[in-house]
Amino acid sequence: MTSFTRRGFIASASTVLASSVVGLKPSFSQSNYPNRPITLICPWGAGGGTDATARIIGQVMEQKLGQPVNVVNRTGGNGVVGHAAIASAAPDGYTIGLLTVEIAMMHWQGMTDLTPRSYTPLTLMNVDAPAIQVKADSPYKTIKELADAIKAAPPGKLKASGTGQGGIWHLALVGWLQSLGLQSNHVAWVPSNGAAPGMQDLVAGGVDIVPCSLPEARPMIDAGRAKSLAILAPERNPQFPNVPTLDEQMGPHKSVGVWRGIAGPKGLPADIQDKLVAVLKEVYASKEYKEFMSGRGFGVKWAERAEFGQFMDESDRQMGEAMKAAGLAKA
Amino acid sequence: MNELIEALRLVLAPDVLIAILLSSIYGLVIGSLPGLSATMATALLVPVTFYLSPIAAVASIIAASAMAIFSGDIPGCLLRIPGTPASAAYTDEAYALTRKGQAEIALGAGLWFSALGGIAGTISLVVMAPALAELALNFSTFEYFWLAFLGLMCATLVARSSPVKAIASMLLGLFIACIGMENPGGVPRFTFGITELLGGIEPIPVLVGVFAVSEVIRAMVSPEPPPLPHRRFGSILAGQLHLTRKYWRQMTRGNLVGIIIGVLPGAGADMAAWVSYAMSKRFSKEPKKFGTGHPEGLVEAGASNNASLASGWVPSLLFGIPGDTITAIAIGVLYMKGLNPGPTLFTERASSMYALYIIFILANILMIPLGIVMIRVASSVLRAPRATVMPVILVCCAVGAFATGNNLFAVVLVATFGVVGYVMERNGYPVAAMVLGIVMGTMVEQSFVTSLIKSDGSLLPFFERPVSAVLAAMTIAALLWPVFIWSWKRIRPRHQEQAL
Amino acid sequence: MHLSDRITGSFVATLGVLAAYGGSRLPPVPGQDIGPSAFPILIGVGLILCGLLIAAGIGHSFEEEAEADLAVVEGPPEYASTKAPLTYRLRALLPPGLLLFYVVAVDRLGFVPTAAIMIFIASVAFGAKLRVALPLAALASVAIHLIFYKLLRVPLPAGLLPMPW
Repeated sequence: MTSFTRRGFIASASTVLASSVVGLKPSFSQSNYPNRPITLICPWGAGGGTDATARIIGQVMEQKLGQPVNVVNRTGGNGVVGHAAIASAAPDGYTIGLLTVEIAMMHWQGMTDLTPRSYTPLTLMNVDAPAIQVKADSPYKTIKELADAIKAAPPGKLKASGTGQGGIWHLALVGWLQSLGLQSNHVAWVPSNGAAPGMQDLVAGGVDIVPCSLPEARPMIDAGRAKSLAILAPERNPQFPNVPTLDEQMGPHKSVGVWRGIAGPKGLPADIQDKLVAVLKEVYASKEYKEFMSGRGFGVKWAERAEFGQFMDESDRQMGEAMKAAGLAKA
Repeated sequence: MNELIEALRLVLAPDVLIAILLSSIYGLVIGSLPGLSATMATALLVPVTFYLSPIAAVASIIAASAMAIFSGDIPGCLLRIPGTPASAAYTDEAYALTRKGQAEIALGAGLWFSALGGIAGTISLVVMAPALAELALNFSTFEYFWLAFLGLMCATLVARSSPVKAIASMLLGLFIACIGMENPGGVPRFTFGITELLGGIEPIPVLVGVFAVSEVIRAMVSPEPPPLPHRRFGSILAGQLHLTRKYWRQMTRGNLVGIIIGVLPGAGADMAAWVSYAMSKRFSKEPKKFGTGHPEGLVEAGASNNASLASGWVPSLLFGIPGDTITAIAIGVLYMKGLNPGPTLFTERASSMYALYIIFILANILMIPLGIVMIRVASSVLRAPRATVMPVILVCCAVGAFATGNNLFAVVLVATFGVVGYVMERNGYPVAAMVLGIVMGTMVEQSFVTSLIKSDGSLLPFFERPVSAVLAAMTIAALLWPVFIWSWKRIRPRHQEQAL
Repeated sequence: MHLSDRITGSFVATLGVLAAYGGSRLPPVPGQDIGPSAFPILIGVGLILCGLLIAAGIGHSFEEEAEADLAVVEGPPEYASTKAPLTYRLRALLPPGLLLFYVVAVDRLGFVPTAAIMIFIASVAFGAKLRVALPLAALASVAIHLIFYKLLRVPLPAGLLPMPW
């Protein structure tokens, strides 16, 4: 670090263009990071829940860093394109991205070679557990009654919906069926374009069960058309205190769930990681973020760096197991 | 009554009025740029709504989306570049009017009947929201299957071409919709190992390619057309009162169809415009004039298009089920601002609900003066020489397609479909039918496969359920229609028909 | 590029065969009776039928009629005659070519230079004089950048010529 002052001076006094003419890469491992706008890649389209989360994080980061944070939706390839763009960006801290649970699923299906290990994990920002919904006038009053009914019914009699084939809530159901000692297709899966159409079909009487997150089910529950029997998480959701956990009713069960976190490309320098994690911690604690997440009903959960890496590894392992069981993973 | 006064107070606040005005102008400008859609205009507004009060935030979304849908007709009419899949249904009609020197009739009809349609849709929202929501909830995949099938059949009715070629184009669109893994099985199909194709081919790059780029190609190989008859760009609204009197039946029918289709989640404005345009032609006294610059179909499709936009909010507000991509974004904003969708919104937050209704009406009224200004500005493009307009359109196509997902692959798609569209058009294959196939393809397959899973493989429920049976009968009638016409023409001597 | 119905019909039918064949090789999905192969096969069969009908010239009378109706209103269609020299007809490839140039060049050159080159070439090809084409290329590319980058926040690459905003 002998050239500290000189390089620092150049980086602060020159534009990107000038420094590339001089032949020096703009130096990044300095205290003056960031000195130009940061790009936050969102692998999903504008308008969805992931996009909204990325935008609130970007907005609060911008206030704390004093540099613009531009949220860029890189869609295509069912999330592969955006996740690949995060992994292949220059590790200079000026391009980071929002990872979603799909990164732990896609490689099992042979869609990509990217895994959670292809990134520098920064922070986990959100986790949502699945809950089991049935129609409001359904005969099943508790999750135990539903489980008994499933066991008693012939395979394929009962139907469930909430995502596409092999989607996250399909895997959550498969995991639960396995813990009951049943085949993964004991309840037939009706693929849908997301949780909202699944809930609609539940109310229309097309399917019997919809496993999805509580915020996704909330409008129909509020409308008195559906009810939630249990949440597949260790603790109750403070937004929905009346929904019991599966553990309370039937004993411990580890379920897959959706999560979102911030990561950078592999090889992000340690001092930049420090800076970003510190800022993201402020974002996580900010009033704006808390209000936004509780407004949407999204669950918040914090983990940083290696801890977040372990969390993703665990999620990856669970997904692999569930997908193999459902016959969805490529051999 | 107190709630109504409270609602008026909410809406008439200066910040709300300014938000409505600014987002209206914004929506008009974005919608009129070739390659940019109403959905994008709405999505780009979301970060701005963080800073607004709840009513102002929702108001800006409502105003911007209504304006963008209307102004999406402008490039379609002036340059034959539709802004949304919805306006693809009647782009050729509007463009034919422009070439006859009557752009103001076409655009005026779009503006006037969109505004009236929007107001009719709002009234349906006010009066019948719970009843309409009930209808939407009882629509299951069996009904959706027939509805999507019926939508596809419109391709043959609308096309000014051989019905066989129209069906071939539509099947081509269905085949393109098969690409990717957005299918009930979640299996990648026809991706040839290309990552970008896993998510399938989006309608927007195809639309830009087959209409805009193929138009540039066509201009490239044809001599400069003689300048349009230079007419004073007359009063945009004067002709519309006459049209309203003449075609009030078509307008009412368009409004009704739009309201019903709009309320069904997933169907939305795209299908409403197609079905209405096809119905208009089918029931018209002068079906031969369709496609040659005849305003009748524009009246009905325009009336239907914007009516569906307003009624699309019913399932969103009552159950949080998005009617289309725009309301999907709007639901996010509602949540963020504490106006959580649900029946309680109508009872406990009644003043907020009334405020939303007032904003809908206000936006549709405001659309008329702002739209007139926009039409006048945009029409100047008709007087500019081709050598300056076409190159700029080409760059807009590239940037617009890129902007849908910030992915350069979309630009490759635009170039490919430009060539495909040009070759198809030149050989009598209607490209609009292909766009319809792409838009409806996933819905047809998804509803068919999931219905069979639910019925344990039985086809009976497709015909058994009452609504399903009616839709099935309509579909089969539409299916047999071209065959019927064809044999009818064969039997009847040709000179007799010409005498009619 | 006007082709006979025989040629386009056979092309549609061939595409149908490929779709049906490609579809038939897709794996079944556990729990679904109608797997992912059913629709491509169905569409393929439909395309084959349509292709054969088109090749046989069925339905062609509709086209002639529709064209005649349109001609009454608008006069004869303004397509280049098929007799035009090949070099003239090859100009059809210029617009898609320029779009592909954009894909290849935009990340290296940056948006403004790429767009300016595209507009300049296309404008000259449409017969514009240099004193029109050059200022158009310079002004329109900067204006489009301003609208999309600044107003719509589309991340257009800066490349060799970053804009001051």
